[in-house]
Amino acid sequence: MVTLDEVLGSGLLQKPSGDAPEALQRQITNYKPLHTFKLEKTRPYQQQYADIYFLRLTKIRPAVEAAASAAWEGTVLGGEKVKRVERVLDVRQGELCWVAGTVYMDMPLKPSILEDVSKDRWISAPTSVGHYYSGNGEDSVMLEDDSGRIRLVGNALQNHFMVTGCIVAVMGTENANGEFEVIDLLFAELPPQPERWSLSKGKKEADSSEDVEMMDASFSRQSHKPSSKKIALVSGLEFSNADTSYAMELNLLLEYLLGEALDPSVQRDELSHITRLIIAGNSISTTAAEQAKPAAAFDTTTVTNKFQPQIKKYGYDSSSYNPVPSQLLDSFLSDLLPTMPVTLLPGALDPANASYPQQPIHPAMFPQSRTYMPPPKAGAGKDRDVPGEEEPGWFDNVTNPWEGEIEGWRVLGTGGQNLDDVFKYVESEDRLGMMEAMCRWRCVAPTAPDTLWSYPFQEDEPFVIKECPHLFFVGCQPEFGTKVIHGPDGQAVRLIAVPSFSETREVVLVDTETLDVERVKIVAE
Amino acid sequence: MEDYKTYLAENILSEDKVVTYRLLSRALRVHPNVAKQMLYDFHKTQSSKKPGTVYATYMLYGIKKSVQNQNGNAMDIDLPSSLPDADPVDDEEVPSYTLVLVQEERLADVLKEYETITSIHVYSVGPHPAKDLTLLVDAAQSALAIKDDAKKPQPRPIVNSHVRRRERKGLGLKAAAPAKQESKTKTAPTKTAPAKPSPAPAPAAAPAKPQEESKSTAPAMEPEAPTATTKKPAPSLKRNTSAASGIMQAFSKAASLPKKAKTSEKSTTAAEETPAALSDDGEDDDDVPLPKPDAQSTRKSKKEREEELRRMMEDDEDEDMEETADSPAPEEEEEEEPAVEEPPAKADVAKEEKKEIVTTSGDGRRRGKRRVMKKKQIMDDQGYLVTIQEPAWESFSEDEAPPADKPKPKVANPAPPAAAGKAKKPAPKGQGNIMSFFSKK
Repeated sequence: MVTLDEVLGSGLLQKPSGDAPEALQRQITNYKPLHTFKLEKTRPYQQQYADIYFLRLTKIRPAVEAAASAAWEGTVLGGEKVKRVERVLDVRQGELCWVAGTVYMDMPLKPSILEDVSKDRWISAPTSVGHYYSGNGEDSVMLEDDSGRIRLVGNALQNHFMVTGCIVAVMGTENANGEFEVIDLLFAELPPQPERWSLSKGKKEADSSEDVEMMDASFSRQSHKPSSKKIALVSGLEFSNADTSYAMELNLLLEYLLGEALDPSVQRDELSHITRLIIAGNSISTTAAEQAKPAAAFDTTTVTNKFQPQIKKYGYDSSSYNPVPSQLLDSFLSDLLPTMPVTLLPGALDPANASYPQQPIHPAMFPQSRTYMPPPKAGAGKDRDVPGEEEPGWFDNVTNPWEGEIEGWRVLGTGGQNLDDVFKYVESEDRLGMMEAMCRWRCVAPTAPDTLWSYPFQEDEPFVIKECPHLFFVGCQPEFGTKVIHGPDGQAVRLIAVPSFSETREVVLVDTETLDVERVKIVAE
Repeated sequence: MEDYKTYLAENILSEDKVVTYRLLSRALRVHPNVAKQMLYDFHKTQSSKKPGTVYATYMLYGIKKSVQNQNGNAMDIDLPSSLPDADPVDDEEVPSYTLVLVQEERLADVLKEYETITSIHVYSVGPHPAKDLTLLVDAAQSALAIKDDAKKPQPRPIVNSHVRRRERKGLGLKAAAPAKQESKTKTAPTKTAPAKPSPAPAPAAAPAKPQEESKSTAPAMEPEAPTATTKKPAPSLKRNTSAASGIMQAFSKAASLPKKAKTSEKSTTAAEETPAALSDDGEDDDDVPLPKPDAQSTRKSKKEREEELRRMMEDDEDEDMEETADSPAPEEEEEEEPAVEEPPAKADVAKEEKKEIVTTSGDGRRRGKRRVMKKKQIMDDQGYLVTIQEPAWESFSEDEAPPADKPKPKVANPAPPAAAGKAKKPAPKGQGNIMSFFSKK
């Protein structure tokens, strides 16, 4: 409860005193992006997708089997000892055994490429179904490997999220119907987590300062707090010229991040500690413009008719392409960049490739901001960029998903499509739980390439999480959410569901020492 | 310091605008925090003078009461978690700050919703209650429209000294390019007529004016000029300078040029004589002579001194020309453009000419092959006779060293060096250069 009298005459609510405030120096954090999801510029698309499943199974199976044999080795159930079976095809009826393989979800509502082909639909439209999950028992879970496939049944399945593409080990028996009765089920669990500062060269100085800060923290949390640095996470800015309902909030967000808003103490203690902005997808709104178009066409037909021929005169059809949203984004970024570095992940709406992993948005989209990017390389386009050789751009437009190291912490983030797609498979609304499951599956996009469009990888399957991140964020989510999950070997992962700014007007701040999370809601009434 | 009051009064009271602290800060180049105080002060004094004339919006920042917090975590709380993973206990209370923009009438109400207020300040002051946020958006946009200027940079509350910008390679190129262009303009005029006089005072004007002259003499050809220019101006340029700096040329390698220049001046030139790689046989011979040599001569003479001297000469020539040709500059434009294109080609020719002498010396005599420009007359697709000079190899054998000959070629020599050859041919028809006259003897 704050009353008007309390605040009057304080801080900035007084006459200008005449002395010019000094400029604050924004803190910086160590930043090292990884190029895990970067694709070659000249990439073929002729290959089959089967290799992704094969690679994924090969990569994750050892971990799953290790976990399974640790858990089930020597287990005796009903007088029968659990045996390990190498291949799905080797499962014998009535034998208690365990086997590892890839889950395949057979769902009537799920878009199926076979169906498309059989119906002569050669261009697969993006799916419009909100859920593949039908809930009427028609969905079935299969376990497959390179030898064969078996249907999984049993109550144990209900306790876990199951989506196509995740690697599991199941224990049970094959029943008379040829189905596998699952008694227990295991995932690969969290991958090994690298130490903090395992990548950065600035390790030494950082370590010493970290020690000091740790001491500070242990002694008095209060005094430590102002010195902590933060990164800001935001997603779904959805710059649009059709929907201006949150234009003011975007302005306020910019002022907040620039540090022009609020009073000196906040600027000093909080705003100047925000060291980096990460935009996790959907910076440009395209849907809004499309929605506005038919509406406009309906109401004033005479006016539109009058204007149409004039519009047609110019080079491009402004009804099919609208440059304003990207211009707004560009000017937003170019205002912010002089004081804060930015990492930009593309999202579903952004002008990047549609299939996972999305490649960085082309610098040509940012005529003003691209001066903060590293200069284009002379031999660009020939080979995979030499990772880590040069300094990352001050304005770093990256892939989606993206992996990197910020202030020593391993960070993994996506623009949200992977989670949205997993969400369609399951009944639950628990998005954080799904994020956790992804970490435990060791796969950041398990449903690729089944329902999540993806590049047909041949040699490598980058979606497998090889090293456990400290921070895993997913952008463009309907609501904010965060939690910390722990792995069997002491791994701890901070999960953050970053809400869409256009929906919630929220920014998430992450402390770079403790990985604590704060939310800032921006409201213009 | 007090001028903010007049600024605000003007904008808010007179012009009916909404002024945000950012707009004020940028307009007056003051720190945003000072601007916030200015707005507050203005609002306070104005309201006390005349209540209801100005309306403020406030920006609040702080932690709202926990009612607000609920919906943040709702998604995990209200889910019937049959799943062990979705344990609500895992979920933590996250400190949630709220930044609110509120009109002054509602300020007290909104304040009540807060548990603590970390910051409050005036965001904007306007002549009306800010019903519509788009007004504020507009104000914010206009604030952004005020760009930093170098003299008085916009004060930023938070600066980042680590900011890196790409060093624009393009800028370097651009910087270099104009320099080159300037040097070019000295030899050949640039495209734009107005730009021309300043960067290249003497030579730029020189080639153009003569052309004018030729135009005035042959007005009937004007319509054709644009199409034919690509070919014509080149030779004409050449002649002009050589005319201007005939003597200088004589000392440089190209002895032939001066001759032609003279011939052209007297406008007795036949088509074959034109030294250009490609020249039109037709009517326009008059203006053929003029602009080209400028380019060529400067190209050739790489020694700066020579160039300077020549420019001096040209200057003189210019003045002469100006006297004769009283036509104004603008019309010259079209002629000049092709002239710009020509110089590089000319430069090539010049280089080739240097290469011409490939000699092998044996038993007292010099033998070898040299490059000679040979003339060819062909009918082009429009029915014009076109004389083309193309390089060809010619073997020779002679007593004297050809390089020495170059400036003073012999007429009688069956296979003279290219330059000499050129010099020779025009001689019979027009008046030869005085230098060549000497050389013959």
